[in-house]
Amino acid sequence: MKARITACTAALLLVVSGCSAGSSASVSAGPDTLSVGFTAEPANFDFTRTDGAAIPQALLYNVYEGLVRLDAQGRVVPLLAQSWTVSPDRRTYDFRLRQGVKFSNGAPFTAEDVKFSLMRVKTNWTISLKSTMDVVDHVDVVAPDHARVVLSKPSNGWLFSLTSRLGAMFSPTGVADLANKPVGTGPYVVAARKRGDSVVLKANPAYWGRKPAYSTVVLKYIKDPTALNNALFSNGIDVISAVTAPDSVPQFQADDRFQVVQGTTNSEVTLAMNNKRAPLNDVRVRQALTYAIDRKALLDTAWAGRGTLIGSMVPPTDPWYEDLANAYPFDPAKAKALLSEAHAANLNLRLRIPNLPYAVSAAQVVQSQLADVGVRTTIEPLDFPAVWLKQVFTDHDYDLSIIQHVEARDITTFGKPKYYWGYDSKRVQQLLAEADSGTPEQQVAAMKQVARQLSADAAADWLFLFPNVIVAKTKVGGFVPNQVSESFDLTGLAPR
Amino acid sequence: MRNLVLGSVLVGLVVVAALLSFAWTPFDPVKVDATHRLLGFGASHWFGTDKFGRDLLSQIMVGARTTLYVGVVAVGIAAVIGTPLGVLAGMAPRWLGEFVMRVNDLVLAFPALLLAIMFGAVFGADTLTAMVAIGIATIPSFARIARSGTLQVMSTEFVLAARAGGRSRLTIAVRHVLPNISGLLIVQASVSFAIAVLAEAALSFLGFGTRPPTPSWGRMLQESQELLTVNPRLALVPGIAIAVAVLGFNLLGDGLRDRLDPRLAARV
Amino acid sequence: MTARVLRRVAIFVVSVLAASIVVFLFMAVLPGDPAQVALGVNATPELLAKTRAEFGIDRPLVTQYFDWIGGVLHGDFGRSYVTREAIGPQLLDRLGVTLWLVGAGMLVALVIAVPAGTFAAVKHRKAVGAGVSGLSQIGVAIPAFLAGIILVQIFAVQLRWLPSGGWTPPDQDFGEFARGLVLPALSLGLVQGAVLTRYVRSAVLDTLGQDYLRTARSKGLRPGQALVRHGLRNASVPVVTVLGLQLATLLIGAVVVERVFVLPGLGSMLLDAVSARDLLTVQGIVLVLVAGVLLVNFVVDVLYTVLDPRLRGS
Repeated sequence: MKARITACTAALLLVVSGCSAGSSASVSAGPDTLSVGFTAEPANFDFTRTDGAAIPQALLYNVYEGLVRLDAQGRVVPLLAQSWTVSPDRRTYDFRLRQGVKFSNGAPFTAEDVKFSLMRVKTNWTISLKSTMDVVDHVDVVAPDHARVVLSKPSNGWLFSLTSRLGAMFSPTGVADLANKPVGTGPYVVAARKRGDSVVLKANPAYWGRKPAYSTVVLKYIKDPTALNNALFSNGIDVISAVTAPDSVPQFQADDRFQVVQGTTNSEVTLAMNNKRAPLNDVRVRQALTYAIDRKALLDTAWAGRGTLIGSMVPPTDPWYEDLANAYPFDPAKAKALLSEAHAANLNLRLRIPNLPYAVSAAQVVQSQLADVGVRTTIEPLDFPAVWLKQVFTDHDYDLSIIQHVEARDITTFGKPKYYWGYDSKRVQQLLAEADSGTPEQQVAAMKQVARQLSADAAADWLFLFPNVIVAKTKVGGFVPNQVSESFDLTGLAPR
Repeated sequence: MRNLVLGSVLVGLVVVAALLSFAWTPFDPVKVDATHRLLGFGASHWFGTDKFGRDLLSQIMVGARTTLYVGVVAVGIAAVIGTPLGVLAGMAPRWLGEFVMRVNDLVLAFPALLLAIMFGAVFGADTLTAMVAIGIATIPSFARIARSGTLQVMSTEFVLAARAGGRSRLTIAVRHVLPNISGLLIVQASVSFAIAVLAEAALSFLGFGTRPPTPSWGRMLQESQELLTVNPRLALVPGIAIAVAVLGFNLLGDGLRDRLDPRLAARV
Repeated sequence: MTARVLRRVAIFVVSVLAASIVVFLFMAVLPGDPAQVALGVNATPELLAKTRAEFGIDRPLVTQYFDWIGGVLHGDFGRSYVTREAIGPQLLDRLGVTLWLVGAGMLVALVIAVPAGTFAAVKHRKAVGAGVSGLSQIGVAIPAFLAGIILVQIFAVQLRWLPSGGWTPPDQDFGEFARGLVLPALSLGLVQGAVLTRYVRSAVLDTLGQDYLRTARSKGLRPGQALVRHGLRNASVPVVTVLGLQLATLLIGAVVVERVFVLPGLGSMLLDAVSARDLLTVQGIVLVLVAGVLLVNFVVDVLYTVLDPRLRGS
């Protein structure tokens, strides 16, 4: 009896461990293998239907390519298109395609695929960014290497959005299982995945361009920032793609095995204020809160002083950047005066944040500083993404929130009255429309006015611009300090 | 005896810190001060400050409050529900007692951590969900102890006499059973308290416990992690606080057991 | 005895089914629409309705339950709402990691507890014995995750002897697998070892007080010898019971340790699934964990029936 039970238990153990062994991702460490650590793991590989930064970070430019891309300076440059021309009315774009490009499943890349991919955004995508593609009226296949895109109205934002995941080129033969089997034209293909652990990219042997220096790249997903640091210290990975434990950076700087590369991102850490709901529908209350928060102190404590103070929704890498960081100098007395002017005494606001390290840190500083001017706040950390997206972003059930707005040029969200900001300014909407349809010079001028208007209205409080902090072993080179695109671009990395 | 004294001293330390924090803390525990961040041990901030410039000693004192609060409520839930169930199972007809204990075993299969994560997912994690979850998960241990104690008491001669004398079951339960098993229950409460303290710390560490900025030892540990190499003090202080509380309640439980169970006490 | 064991089996099966109902109902009341979560905020009402139908969450709860539990009985836990992958194979894969961790943690606990507990009992009147008891008290008071954090700092970050976390499957590189398992197993096992030490000590103390050991000692055997020859087997019965209970504790303790050491086990899968509101996955994991605890309790019960001579007679 006893023996039989033991045998059964042993059999169970064998079955289970046998199964775990079978599905492992094989990783062989070698000089042409690079291991890069990330905090956010892609839920799947389908960025057409899954929001969030993790999937394009891994796949864009590495596995998927678009007609154009962003270079290190943030300019739009050719990728799968060799060149393009814009008609005088700024509505028709003629793309000349690179020849001899193949998808990783062997299908050739032609103008038919351009038409398929761009039109598919409207019909099959569900992510929040897809509306930028609504402006596409139709796509003509002029020749196999010539696609003509006709817009319903001129749009500068549209061409720019082609550098993001929205411009990724798919083949009709490769979209059957996007969640698990991505098929692109990029220098890498997805070779293996171990959920909760890693994704392995291998060089695409049929790639049209220059072969990447590392033939195997392991993307290691380590949610906890400290564990991520420890993995680099103990040789588990070669690169931390973005340090999210900023107080730990000096450790790496002091150690000559490592290099620290720091630059800017597109990611504004924003204190969102519900512009639709009392008392924050009163501009004086919003301004008061903005005066009450000492953003320098917040950056110093919550993020170890790493980051940039910006004052509006524009990172320094955008052409219309102006330094508005000092529009609301820290002034608690003025904050109190504005609050009493607005008859907003005894405020008690709900600060509903995603339960992510930067938000939890920043929220505690905001709470302490607002308490000093008599504004009480209740911090409610919500599971991210699911609960935060539903309750704050979709249902607008919040007074204050803190979140990184990671998308490039997301200042345009202030032109959508139904966005969770609840910000509805006819002037800003009109300026944004002018900027989108005008010449590049007109665009810059109009966008500057938008940024100033947002600051004047205290539409939100831009706490700081998230820094791009890469830590890597000294033997790895080719990093670009400023993170301007959605992609963690592996193609430029090479041994030094 | 030694256990009892040491346990009482350690528990007393935690209780005094918590009570004192209502009236006085050296600094405001949640006040952010960018100019005084990451100070070491010193004369003005005894235990130093964290990355927000908040005083660690003040946070530990208020954190003691959170710890005791969770412990008291969790053990309270478990004792108030578990004890009557256990006594019922010990006194009721065999089939009913058996049924209660099977249900009890089922609850036992949902450990505190799992329950708290599930509750956190439904209601949004905070101190309340954590302590209710820990409380529910602790019910079975009280029910078991109460039942085995009740079975023993029920077979004693004075209870048999009382039953023969026609006393109602309720009277017997209140007059004879409860007073006689109270020692067992107090010991169980002390040990459960220690487990609750550990569970709360683990939950706050995972982000399923006390919400910021309310100081909690588990969350202090979690926040200390990124600075561990340069500033081990930040983990050391709450770590020792947790150990002191758990050790205190365990020793207190052991001491009480020795006191209340002469058979064991005589031997050890 | 057979009747007794059969009764235990029946109780086990009914308990697992009852647990599955509890878990299912719990998930059913969770706020949040899985279809919305899966599709993001821009989904059209038509697409949402279609996806709800696809997931089968537009049907009555009773139908959903029987559909789910029917699948589970065949090893089919359904498809994740978020990743669109089958949950069953994923669960099995993660369970493998967790079982390795729990097994190794148990081993560490036993290796510490059996000698330390026996020693403390035999020398219970001496200072060293009391010292071991005291150490075990302190060990119990240190949370496993704190032990983990400290071990990582010392052995991974400072000394660089062992990896700080991560998982290498045993068939791929056994050496690396074993190296990676050392610290997690230690942080899980040290605390449980301390708990177990106290039980071993009291079990051995009980045994030492028995008449047959006194007899053995009166025949000139030293306490240690008498214990090894006659006592340990008897002392092992209560220890096995505690071991069963501890196995359940370890299974849950692994949730936290997996987070510290970034191990892709059931615990980290659970935490990720909860924050992604991947309800069907959460449901599956919780069921597996709860069923695991029930299974351990069942095995302990049966072992008890088999081992205990008094029960064997009945």
